[in-house]
Amino acid sequence: MIIESIEINNFMCYSGNNRFDFTEGMNVIIGDNGYGKSKLYDAFYWAMYDQCFDTNEKQWKSTRFLGKALISDKAITESEDGLIRTSVRMTLKDTDKDRQYIVERILKAEKREGEVIPDNESIQEITFRKISGMTGKLITNPEEIERIKRKVLPENIRPYMWFQGEQVESIIDFGESDSLSRAINVLSNISRFDEVKIVADAWAKSVGEQYHRKVKALSTDRDKSDKLEVNRNEIVARIGLLENDIKQCKENLGYAEEEADKLVNKQEDATRIRELDVSRKSLEKQLEEIEEELRYERIDLHKKMFTNRWVLKGSEGLVKLFNEKYGNYQDEKLSKRAEAKAKSDAENKVLKELQTRLPINVPEPVFVEKMLDQGKCLVCDREAKEGSEAWNSIKQLLDRTQEVSQGGEEKDQIINDFESDFRRLSQHGYAMEQDIGRIDENIVKTFTRLDRLDKKRRSTRDQLDTVQKEISNLVTESSINPERARHLLSELLANNDHALRFRGNLTRFEVELERKQKELEKIDKDLGELISEDLPSWLEEKKKLLLDFKEIAHSTRDRVFKKLVKQLEDEANNHYHEMMQGNLSAKGIIKLVESTKGNYMPRLVDQNENPLMQLNTGNIILIKLATIMAIISARQGSRDTDLYTLITDAPMSVFGEDYTIGFCKTVSKVYRQSIIMSKEFYKNEALRRQLLNDTDINLGKVYMITPSISENERSNRNSLQTLIKALN
Amino acid sequence: MTREQILRLYLDDDKLIDEGYLREGEGNQAAWSDHLNNKMVTVIKDAIEGVVGGESQALMTRKINKYLDRNL
Repeated sequence: MIIESIEINNFMCYSGNNRFDFTEGMNVIIGDNGYGKSKLYDAFYWAMYDQCFDTNEKQWKSTRFLGKALISDKAITESEDGLIRTSVRMTLKDTDKDRQYIVERILKAEKREGEVIPDNESIQEITFRKISGMTGKLITNPEEIERIKRKVLPENIRPYMWFQGEQVESIIDFGESDSLSRAINVLSNISRFDEVKIVADAWAKSVGEQYHRKVKALSTDRDKSDKLEVNRNEIVARIGLLENDIKQCKENLGYAEEEADKLVNKQEDATRIRELDVSRKSLEKQLEEIEEELRYERIDLHKKMFTNRWVLKGSEGLVKLFNEKYGNYQDEKLSKRAEAKAKSDAENKVLKELQTRLPINVPEPVFVEKMLDQGKCLVCDREAKEGSEAWNSIKQLLDRTQEVSQGGEEKDQIINDFESDFRRLSQHGYAMEQDIGRIDENIVKTFTRLDRLDKKRRSTRDQLDTVQKEISNLVTESSINPERARHLLSELLANNDHALRFRGNLTRFEVELERKQKELEKIDKDLGELISEDLPSWLEEKKKLLLDFKEIAHSTRDRVFKKLVKQLEDEANNHYHEMMQGNLSAKGIIKLVESTKGNYMPRLVDQNENPLMQLNTGNIILIKLATIMAIISARQGSRDTDLYTLITDAPMSVFGEDYTIGFCKTVSKVYRQSIIMSKEFYKNEALRRQLLNDTDINLGKVYMITPSISENERSNRNSLQTLIKALN
Repeated sequence: MTREQILRLYLDDDKLIDEGYLREGEGNQAAWSDHLNNKMVTVIKDAIEGVVGGESQALMTRKINKYLDRNL
């Protein structure tokens, strides 16, 4: 069955009606990141399984949780109030059987006053019709729908046929020892041989019991026979227990060996992680110290405004100005003082003159005023009319007193003298002038130190970032966190101890089993000797036949599985080398290595079968893809219903452009139909031309998808539409 | 893989020739529809048929016992 077309309406970035037609071969959808490739993958998945992969949360989400996110923003913006219909319709056809299936999923939403309310559930419809016929039949029975879906793509095959680039890692998980065996079981027919083996075991057991019942029935000595029977039952029970113990022991041993193997492989990474972790811790401590020092320096920077007198920077002129003003003040003061002295001298002179007649305030001013009022000298009792010489002489006595008191006020001004303060300031000013001269030098020194510390901090942080990044990469690649890395060595020793113990137990159990089996044989012989007549030949023959069948079933299963593994190994190497064509690096050989438990894991080895270590992610993914393709190739053609379409989003993104063409050639050879979403052909036009023209690639349809709006307008998705252009 | 392809892989086992169930080269030519009157081949075919047809183990055991008890 191949996918003929997909029609996408108002689904995510596919607004309006969109259609892709596909043919057999490799169909490619080309687009840059964010152009709608993953949404196309989502469309396929949603149509079939009602789920889309949330790349942020790395999980599948159904319509119920996706809701409005499924509907195109453009459709939401542009539609008027009423119904908005989102749908994906996938048409599949099986030409050989003249069948066509249309799988459609619909989500209805209602727009009311600008608000969009989607239904909780989507609806799935499948229509079946004969290609040659005209009419179709709508399938509504859920069981029938599921049956058809299983026919389109069986559940167990789905992870190997429909996957996103980032899921490739988990399809064959190198951390899980049975994942390849599981893939082989799912994708090959080996499970049939396992089932036949189980049936053969049951038949052998059944005939053994039948035979034994007959032996017992024909016994001539019932007592002895019963005793032997008791012994036999005990031995059989013990053999059963031993077989279980051996099985358990083998599993434990296999587990311990696989763990030890894994740990040995991880030892190198763990040692490196441990070294890096020590370095990280030391750098963290250094950084902490530097940051503390820097913090102190920054706080100290504020203090230095005062302690180192930076606050005075630019005040050199002020000292000079102050000194000038202080000089002026002194000059003025001196001149005032001289003036006051001259005045005082003049007064003193007047006083001196007056002193000859009367001392100051004699008579007291109150009497002088009384004399002036009365116009009479109360000392000599003579008349002194106002305005007369005598009156004026009396008045002079009063004026003299006032003038002397004014001279006293001047004396008061001298008492509030700031001279000493100003002098001190001036002296400090001289001292500070020296410091101010050194402020620039001091600031430069301080900031140089700060700058040096900051550079040191940044450099340490960069080193720390590099170390942390390296740790993070190593942790991602090796799945060993620093904590685990510390314990890995002790775990390795412990595992080796366990393996040693299990091996010892296994040998002990196997020796005992062999002994018990011999004892059982002897008892069976003894029981056989007790029978009165020959056992029926048909029973002997039946027993031999079914025991031989058991052996054949076991050996055939092992032979087929080994052959399959060898075939897979050869096929995987073909695919791997084909995909590696574009790259000149050392290729290595894929070897499927069997563990004690019987599981197989793909390993890359050199010509001498030495494992190649330190593979990059691209290598690992290529090995996994090559192995999956080998299993698909092995299965191909085995059943006509086994033709499923490979749908994968960005499978090449992890291994780079060198391998792209090789990958395409291999895919187009292995899968009858594939639909690949790729960005590799978008920017690299030469690669695109090669894709379109390389005759080794069985090419189907090629489309280029681009968003309708430019890169810088993409934040507004309300007019976003995906443009589809067929390139062939 | 068809039932016939599975059958051929079983018939390719050396033990079948060693124990005289088949002659050299006989297994390669066997077809599912052949009636070889060979009990081992029938046993193998019954097992494959039961597994491919999804029969229960008990039913398959009953059927093989019935067949062998009648025909041996």
